[in-house]
Amino acid sequence: MSNLQRKNTRDRLISIALALLSLLFIAPILIVLMNSFKSKLFISSEPFRFPNTETFTGRANYIEGAKKINFFKAFGYSLFITTFSVLAVVFTTSMLGWYLTRVKSRFTQITYYLLVFSMIVPFQMVMFTMSKIANMLHLDNPLGVIVLYVGFGAGLGTFMFSGFIKTIPLSLEEAALIDGASPPQTFFLVVLPMLKPTAITIAILNAMWIWNDYLLPYLTIGTEYKTIPVAIQYLRGGYGAVDMGAMMAMLVLAMVPIIVFYIFTQRYIIEGVVAGAVKG
Amino acid sequence: MDKTLRRWAPLFVLPALICFVIAFLVPMIMGFVLSFFKFSTVTDGVFVGWSNYKRIFIDMDFIKALWMNVRFTVVTVIMINILAFFLALLVTRGVKGTNIYRTIFFMPNLIGGIVLGWIWLLIINGILLPKNATIITDPKYGFWGLVALANWQNIGYMMVIYIAGIQTINKDLLEAAEIDGANSWIRLKSVILPSIMPAITICSFLTLTSGFKLFDQNLALTAGNPARQTEMLALNIYNTFYTRSNFEGVGQAKAVLFTILVAAIALSQLALTRQKEVEV
Amino acid sequence: MMKKSIVLTLVLIFLSTTLIFSAGTKEDAAKEVYFLNFKPEIASVYEDKVAPAFEAETGIKLKVVTAASGTYAATLKSELAKSNPPTIFQTNGPVGLANSLNYVSDLRNTEFYKILSDKSMALTDGDRVLSIPYAVEGYGIIYNDAVMRAYFALPNKAVALKSPEEINTFAKLKAVVEDMTRNKDRLGIQGVFASTSMAPGNDWRWQTHLVNVPIAYEFRDKGIATGIETDDFDFKYANEMKQIWDLYLDNSTTARGLLGSKSVDDAMAEFALGQAAMVQNGNWGAAQILGVQGNKVADSDIKFMPIYIGVAGEEFDGLNVGTENYFCINSQVSSEKQKLSDQFLTWLFSSETGKAIVKNDLMFITPFNTFKDHELPSDPLAREVIRWMNKSGVTSMPWAFSVIPSGEWKNNFGADLDQYINGRMSWSDVAKRAVASWKVEYDLAH
Repeated sequence: MSNLQRKNTRDRLISIALALLSLLFIAPILIVLMNSFKSKLFISSEPFRFPNTETFTGRANYIEGAKKINFFKAFGYSLFITTFSVLAVVFTTSMLGWYLTRVKSRFTQITYYLLVFSMIVPFQMVMFTMSKIANMLHLDNPLGVIVLYVGFGAGLGTFMFSGFIKTIPLSLEEAALIDGASPPQTFFLVVLPMLKPTAITIAILNAMWIWNDYLLPYLTIGTEYKTIPVAIQYLRGGYGAVDMGAMMAMLVLAMVPIIVFYIFTQRYIIEGVVAGAVKG
Repeated sequence: MDKTLRRWAPLFVLPALICFVIAFLVPMIMGFVLSFFKFSTVTDGVFVGWSNYKRIFIDMDFIKALWMNVRFTVVTVIMINILAFFLALLVTRGVKGTNIYRTIFFMPNLIGGIVLGWIWLLIINGILLPKNATIITDPKYGFWGLVALANWQNIGYMMVIYIAGIQTINKDLLEAAEIDGANSWIRLKSVILPSIMPAITICSFLTLTSGFKLFDQNLALTAGNPARQTEMLALNIYNTFYTRSNFEGVGQAKAVLFTILVAAIALSQLALTRQKEVEV
Repeated sequence: MMKKSIVLTLVLIFLSTTLIFSAGTKEDAAKEVYFLNFKPEIASVYEDKVAPAFEAETGIKLKVVTAASGTYAATLKSELAKSNPPTIFQTNGPVGLANSLNYVSDLRNTEFYKILSDKSMALTDGDRVLSIPYAVEGYGIIYNDAVMRAYFALPNKAVALKSPEEINTFAKLKAVVEDMTRNKDRLGIQGVFASTSMAPGNDWRWQTHLVNVPIAYEFRDKGIATGIETDDFDFKYANEMKQIWDLYLDNSTTARGLLGSKSVDDAMAEFALGQAAMVQNGNWGAAQILGVQGNKVADSDIKFMPIYIGVAGEEFDGLNVGTENYFCINSQVSSEKQKLSDQFLTWLFSSETGKAIVKNDLMFITPFNTFKDHELPSDPLAREVIRWMNKSGVTSMPWAFSVIPSGEWKNNFGADLDQYINGRMSWSDVAKRAVASWKVEYDLAH
């Protein structure tokens, strides 16, 4: 067999392998989708069977589930909290990162190391005390939760922005200042545009984390304002019984926004992952 | 520039810093201090010295959870990285449709931990049905169920990083090696692996820390059942705080130990792999 | 240009939501009673019937929050520590009360206390009345009389008994149940007992209710009065419990390995759909049977029998009757809010609207002097409980489980029962661990 033929067969084998693996990867999602259209009595007993005339229930599970956990309200809360937390993190940490990099003082050094340290600390260390403080300061509402997310996102955000800013020559900023620009003007008009790729990375990493976060919203605002993950886990109500039909439907609804978002922003997400890894 | 910036310090520093202090720094210090107290709200503590820490070793559930963490992390770090790397090799072959495969493999990473747990609960219980068992019949099922879930969730993410690493490999070097007669295995060992050492560092770091801190998926898939035998550290700490009465101090002490463990592991792993990077 | 409008939209969304949220927090200060509900199965009744009716009649808002299964204690603790805590909450008895002592107000001068018929049922501390029971409940083995009649009509049955009423010892129960299992196809059932549900959060029927029977017998032998906490537990009747436990497991609709995924709802549905002839549960389960789509059991065929485990003299013991449902009013809220809470509770159990909801939808058997006989629940199980409570020659078994030292003991016991079911722990180990754990938990609490 010539080299070219060998390459072609190998390529074909690889294609087949990839195709099979992709199918395997997407199977769980498809299985959940399939089950969301079956009556709840037939989901646990025969999860891999396709719906037939007896087990098919159309939109019933979706309607029931969305009503039970108020899905659309949960979606609203998730959207609000994620969007504004991400914006807040990007702006506040870029500003902080710039300041910490450009100003050399004991204060900035200590602050920087504290922020980096915070990236390693697991949430369990602060969850109890933080939820009590949040309650004391009346931060236990969707608006207050943004403050909490900025606090937790500060570590990674500042770290990455600082890392990137270090590579930007001072000359541009010094020139702007000499020309009479104030520091805020310098930052917003000169520096921030250059930070766009890093900002996108931070935005995406934080969006993924915050949208899917369970513990923080559960502990601080969980009784009154349920985000999507909290609402899903709450389906496990009534003395532990789970309405599997409603659960399947809600799982599908929970995945839809992310998948849609992913399809449109795929390129940025993947770039962001790589950039995040390289900086780390 | 330093001086001009300093006057604007409040604007740039305060927003992120205040949130950081409220949401992280103060809770963290409070949590550490309270680990030496018996308390139920943050203001009614009674000093008890080391007794909370001693309790951890009397009850042993923390140690058992630690063992579960160790087994889980070792298995997943190895599996995920090998599989992700293998997948990255396949996907960088330039076969048609690579982008679609990359999209599919990465997708599970976007889905939140709670949703993932429920998806895999359905699948694993379905697989075990013919054996007349469920995921909580035997802790083995819960363990491997979690491993499968972690793999599904993270392989795509690590694969993307490995792909980026592979794409930085000097093509000339590879061709030279091929011409020299080196077979695929030697090419892998001597050219590819050393070049992607940074990717290996980062992926090991990410899989190690995320595996060790696992919570949402643990809660949704098994909630630690049966009899706490699939309870990992984060869940154990959460249960100590919120499902046992009067054990908040012990919970905080466990959290302190947990933080030390995670920090130790993360730092030593970084040191080890950075060393390897430099050697290359 | 597009950037500016995006920014503008975001700012507008942000400002409007801020206004909405701050408006929301101001409302809280108004006339409101915050009730933290323990029973998820009737949460919708409180939200959809009780709250609107109360607000319509008094103008006071009722905020109902229901804790997810198995999380009441944790949710209560966390909510009590917040700035807007529950004004009415539940406690399950002396042990639960001990955890909330700082938050219970003295109810002796309230309207609500006045309507309690038997004042000795309240939980007290000296002269202070801390908690008032609101529902008397009974549990035992619920059976489908139609299936039982079919069994006793079988020509070649192996027992000499003629009706379920003649079953009054474990030996007789075992004989009947095992014979029914042999004839299950002829009787059209999948198993005699419904699934012994062991899904997380669903094992309370065993780690609390079933174990109550051996515990109550042991404390009766030792002369320990109901409600007195003690560390003197030896699990004297462990073997008897094993007998009934094995009987449930070996004559079930479901194989042992699958019980970990069965919930109480599943078991009640199996009974309602005629797949099982017996299910252990209490009168609160009536709604679960009657509400199942395709319910095949006639109201008149839903009956109770006591849980027999093989203790001498058990033919004189009836259903397990007691209460685990006590209301408390939060002492840390304003006296205005405490009065409103008193008003709500009194309204629920003495107004015409309230009593009708209690009878028909909440289905509580209440200990209040405001209920005439015809106003007590008339569902089949409630009537059966009342029949057994009044039966001559038979005394109800008390709820001794109220002094199990902690929730942790129950959870550990339930976990061990699960291990036993899956063959990973011997019964003697289950018993030994139960005794050891009782001591540990008792010491931790005292």
